[in-house]
Amino acid sequence: MRLRVKYLPLALLVSFALLGAPVQAAKKPAPAPVTQAEPEPEILDPFEPFNRGVFMFNEAFDAVITTPVKFLYTNLLPEPLRRGIGNVIGNLDDVYIGVNHGLQGQGNLAGNDFGRVLINTTLGLGGLFDVASDMGLAKGKGDYGVTLGVWGVGPGPYLVLPVLGVSTVRDTVGRGLRIASDPRTYLEPITGYSLSGAEYVHVRSSNSSTEDLISSSSLDKYRFTRSLFLQRRDALISAAKQGN
Amino acid sequence: MRNTIAFLLLSLFVGAAAPAYAAGPEDLVKSMASEVTASVRSLPPGSNGVNPKLTAIIERDLVPRFDFTRISQIAMGRNWMKASQAEQRQITSEFSHLLIRTYSNAINNLRDLDVVVRSTRSNGSDGDVTVRTQMVGRGSPSSIDYSLSNATGSWKVYDVQVEGISLVAAYRDEFTGLVSSDGVAGVIAALKKKNAK
Repeated sequence: MRLRVKYLPLALLVSFALLGAPVQAAKKPAPAPVTQAEPEPEILDPFEPFNRGVFMFNEAFDAVITTPVKFLYTNLLPEPLRRGIGNVIGNLDDVYIGVNHGLQGQGNLAGNDFGRVLINTTLGLGGLFDVASDMGLAKGKGDYGVTLGVWGVGPGPYLVLPVLGVSTVRDTVGRGLRIASDPRTYLEPITGYSLSGAEYVHVRSSNSSTEDLISSSSLDKYRFTRSLFLQRRDALISAAKQGN
Repeated sequence: MRNTIAFLLLSLFVGAAAPAYAAGPEDLVKSMASEVTASVRSLPPGSNGVNPKLTAIIERDLVPRFDFTRISQIAMGRNWMKASQAEQRQITSEFSHLLIRTYSNAINNLRDLDVVVRSTRSNGSDGDVTVRTQMVGRGSPSSIDYSLSNATGSWKVYDVQVEGISLVAAYRDEFTGLVSSDGVAGVIAALKKKNAK
């Protein structure tokens, strides 16, 4: 059973690519990055009323739950420990970055990612220390959503997921693939959820300054966040297409 | 007396010419980055949030090198033409105020980062260029690209893209929504309300 689960993400990816959308992996020349975007960019958000509702729910959830937990996390745990936790999360993430670089046909980058995992897991004491970065192996970027994008799958409608936040249909599929291929999913539920919860709190804490910036500079936070997120995903996919 | 006046006039010209230099866009970005970095580092540590000293640095080192009218125009998109000249001026002034505040929050990070200019490339046929830089320091480097135009006779920045994200494009999305619900006046009202906070 376990074995079959292991191949699930790959099977899903392949079937998605074959059925869902035109595969453009062979098409090399990426369009020149739009710096000015004089024509108003089309933003696909047919579920806006629903998304705004979830967005408001998430804001309330943050105010009541995430913010106090973040506060406790940053104030109870010393900085070096928090950095260690971040490194452990990052080390697991490097495995997926490597898998995705592999799926994108970026063998060298995948090698770099897996090299990082090897070094950080051993010399970095199970990932607590990011010694690979000090040795010049830079951390990569990417996830299943980016790989789908590189393969030519469009973002689909914008989605705001409860608690998890901003996404698109494509990136939600990517997230599903990640969850399906994450070892934590197959641990006993309490341990699995605790580890995922810890990651959530850590990631949200380390994004605090960006979130504050968005709150303090936006006129319509829903639209502002949507634009920043969609632009970021496009940039990651364009970079991945160019082999970065 | 005449000498004093001549000297004053001369220094005025030198002063006014200094930020504009005949220098190219890459030099502008380089000197802007090094001046801002040096100024931020000269502040006592721990000065976070909206800080009058940071705002002063931005007013001195950044504002003269930005084309806020063009930035506002891009952020308004096709709705720019719907605004009267007075409204356009109001949008430009309120929006630049908001941007300055936003940057003063972000710029504090330059304390432990260095800006490295990577390349400059032409932005199509209109003579605009993009200067690509990287902020290096702890962690993975992040890219910051400056779009500049020479339309006014000196190079000025009209967009900044951080990791491929344009703040101006994000504002355009907001402005479009505000115009469609409350008209151009809605944009001005929202900007004023935000700035008053």
